[in-house]
Amino acid sequence: MSTNTANPLAGEFELAMDGPLTAYWLAILRVLTGWWFFHSGVTKLLEGGLAYSYGPIYMQGMEGTALGPIPVWMGNNLAWLIAPGVPLFETLIGLAVMAGVLTRLAAFGGAFFMVLFWTGNAGFGHGLVNSDLMGLLLFVTVMILAAGRYYGLDAVIEKMQFVQQRPKLRYLLG
Amino acid sequence: MTHTKTAIDRAAMAVSGGLILLGVVVLGLIETLAGQPYGAAPLTNDAGEVVAMPLIDPNLRTGLVILGLVVLLLWGLYKLATPMAGGNTETAAVETTAD
Repeated sequence: MSTNTANPLAGEFELAMDGPLTAYWLAILRVLTGWWFFHSGVTKLLEGGLAYSYGPIYMQGMEGTALGPIPVWMGNNLAWLIAPGVPLFETLIGLAVMAGVLTRLAAFGGAFFMVLFWTGNAGFGHGLVNSDLMGLLLFVTVMILAAGRYYGLDAVIEKMQFVQQRPKLRYLLG
Repeated sequence: MTHTKTAIDRAAMAVSGGLILLGVVVLGLIETLAGQPYGAAPLTNDAGEVVAMPLIDPNLRTGLVILGLVVLLLWGLYKLATPMAGGNTETAAVETTAD
């Protein structure tokens, strides 16, 4: 915490991760980002269960993107995984990010999804920076800042002896 | 809390940030200065006919951004694979948020 007597607000508004506003806002950001994916996943589950057939079709149509033939190949060959995986992983990623459990790993999954959405939707009419890229940046931000440590369960999990003895787990937690 | 950055850390940040900024901002500025379409998609008239194409292929620009993110990912994997400098340097941040 800052002890800058010249600026009494420095301690409250500074960008240090232990600053009260930074931790508060990171937690808000994380929960809303998680809810976004959770809602998207759970509504797919409610409507169609684990048979989200649009997933493979969407990827089969991703021809001519910066990802080359990868998504089309996935759509053609991994439909067995994509159809149940989209609603399931969206739901799990959302839950994990909201609760702050395995936050970095979950946010990586969210970023992977958003790369596919950003390039696949290709809604670039108003430029490259659109809501899909913003979603991608949110997940990368949650991952880089280890947002699960702020009012998230990862703050508790990281204090467990199991994690203390394996500090590299914090690259997946946090 | 003092973190020292190695040459690899600095290179990863420079390359990753450079690629992302090149794809979005630098090429976006060139695209804008080149005239319509100011976005990164073809411009169509009311009949749906394409009347102008972007100067820079959006796949190139999205590819640069994705490459920048891949560099970040590889940097993270490198940090995961190499020994941690100074042990539990991040514990302090965890504890200070509890109060």
